[in-house]
Amino acid sequence: MAEGLEFALRYPFSDSAKAALSGMDLTERIVDLAAERLLKALKGDKSTKMLLHDSDRKEEIASFAAARMILGQMRNGYMTNMFAVNESKRVRDCLDRDDERTVDAVAAQFGISTTSEGKKLTIDLPTYLKFSTRNPHYRLINRRLVRGRVEINYEEKKRLIEEAVKKHMESIPLIKDPPDIIKAAGARLIAELPKTESRVLGNIKPGDHPPCVMKLLDEMKKHTNLPHQARLYLATYFLAIGMNEDELTKMFSMLPDFSEKITRYQVGHIKKKEYNVASCATVMTYGLCCAVCRIGSPLNWHTLDDFRKNAIKERGA
Amino acid sequence: MNANDTMVAKKIFASYYETAEFRIPRIEQREFGIGNMKKIDARHLNFGNAQEFRNYLCNNTPLFVSHSTGYYEFPGASPMVKKCWKGADVVFDLDIHAEGKYGAYAHLGRVKEDVMRLVNDFILNDFGIGRDNVAVAFSGNRGYHVHVRDPAFLSIGSDERRELVDYIMGQGLDYTQFFSPSDTKPARLLGPKPDEGGYRGRLARGTIKLLEEDPGKLSRLFTKEKERGFFISGIQEGNWSRTSLKSGDLVSRLKGVAATLPVSSVDTDAGVTQDLSKLIRVPNSIHGDTGMVARIIEDIGAFDPWKDAMMREAEGGGTGEMKIRFTEDVPAIEMDQTLGPFKKDDELALPRHYALFFVLKGSATISG
Repeated sequence: MAEGLEFALRYPFSDSAKAALSGMDLTERIVDLAAERLLKALKGDKSTKMLLHDSDRKEEIASFAAARMILGQMRNGYMTNMFAVNESKRVRDCLDRDDERTVDAVAAQFGISTTSEGKKLTIDLPTYLKFSTRNPHYRLINRRLVRGRVEINYEEKKRLIEEAVKKHMESIPLIKDPPDIIKAAGARLIAELPKTESRVLGNIKPGDHPPCVMKLLDEMKKHTNLPHQARLYLATYFLAIGMNEDELTKMFSMLPDFSEKITRYQVGHIKKKEYNVASCATVMTYGLCCAVCRIGSPLNWHTLDDFRKNAIKERGA
Repeated sequence: MNANDTMVAKKIFASYYETAEFRIPRIEQREFGIGNMKKIDARHLNFGNAQEFRNYLCNNTPLFVSHSTGYYEFPGASPMVKKCWKGADVVFDLDIHAEGKYGAYAHLGRVKEDVMRLVNDFILNDFGIGRDNVAVAFSGNRGYHVHVRDPAFLSIGSDERRELVDYIMGQGLDYTQFFSPSDTKPARLLGPKPDEGGYRGRLARGTIKLLEEDPGKLSRLFTKEKERGFFISGIQEGNWSRTSLKSGDLVSRLKGVAATLPVSSVDTDAGVTQDLSKLIRVPNSIHGDTGMVARIIEDIGAFDPWKDAMMREAEGGGTGEMKIRFTEDVPAIEMDQTLGPFKKDDELALPRHYALFFVLKGSATISG
């Protein structure tokens, strides 16, 4: 527990946090704090509590583990993703404030280790692939890669840690027979979740859209946080095939960091500026292509007959 | 293929499998699939060790046999989710699709060059994977399989594998980003040096190679030895300004060089690399469409499928000739010698492995 309670409070998934919790029992107070933590995630509040007393700190740390138990019992994709996105953003804020040694200690939790070569940092390729987002900036093709080491800078290293935290938070172990207080907290939280799922998505059948679009929609149904390029692509695509701004905004409401105001503005802006739908080549560059359709533009999907569509689906990812 | 042809083929296959050398790491953790009518008729098979596998092949002798790239806790379980996936080799499938049943064979040499570039430039140099963890095998038909078994890569997911394929295929490659003006006056064009890694180094080396072999392709200027030598000496230092060509013009002229850098024949089968539960031909097994061995290759440069992938006499391939009758027209094929063309109803005796090749391709039937 070299890093102490303050470290464990900011990074409650760490070994230090686990060590701090040894011997502690699950209490109602901890479960209440866990529910509070989850509600904060729903609101997008990513602050870390400042606590003076060790006993309060320990309870707050325990609330993280209890929150994961609640999620494990709820098995609700939306709630889990909201929590994963919020916690990873909270951790990123902490990393930005902490010194390099602390950042390294957090990185080590996920097997992320970098080597300094002058001013540059390098990281091993498999770890880089696991924790880099699929956006053009992080595409391997745009990186210096020598003998299995990828060059990154310090900011990018923190972004990789943020992604590692998110992935860790997304994989919640199934809790089959949880204590009653966990079950009750889960039931209370269900009432807080948005009730309506987007009807727009419900009407879409397999084969209605190209495989890359279907894959993004599937991810959206699971409330996965999509990268910027993926959202832009979906917006231009659906506007081009005639979906209106209201329906599109409703569709994006499945995203864990959805804000109606921002989405409406962005969708309106895309429509006003008449942005083109990305070509297949651009979709590939974004890292969003998942099949080999050879149709040039995703819009050409609608000119294919069912036989071709099925052949592509079978051949694809 | 009629029942007699199948029986003869299977007999030959079985005698090969009696002594065939399989090198399948962690065989007990892999799923197997076999096929007779199709490449895979049945899957979810598993074998505790190589001997069990050999016994199965000798007794049941399928025309095709594949193993999973994935490792499982319970490889024989089904559905897939019950197998408990533990990791998977990263496999690249390189082949050529061409018109007609025999069209692809003329391009096998080009695929081989791509395999060498994939292994040496990308897998060993860029990805930093040790040669011991890379196995190359002929597919048994019109391409090659490259199996990467580095433990650090086994657990990467489908998206990550796609990223590797995109890198190899050069998806999104913007080589113009490799160049930038220096902040000196006058500004020099700074660019990649030949000793750099990845696409940067490859672009510099590719440009020098083009200048040495066919300089006029880049610009007529470089046909003059002095001009060319001066430009190349600059590239060696990362200074691309030692020419009278304007920077913008020079960079756009490099488009042709950049286009040769990726490995394009991975393209057609990008899905193979991404699929975490893919079944792939067992290295050193026989391909049921050709009778050729999916041979494990030590020296890629020296490999000639028409010699090295044929079943050898000592392997059960047998000697002598086999009499066949062609059931359709077959164009001339460049093997280690030119065979054909053959006309429908031609009846002749060919060395056994060639005869078997045409029978399994469905172009002939055994008549003797």
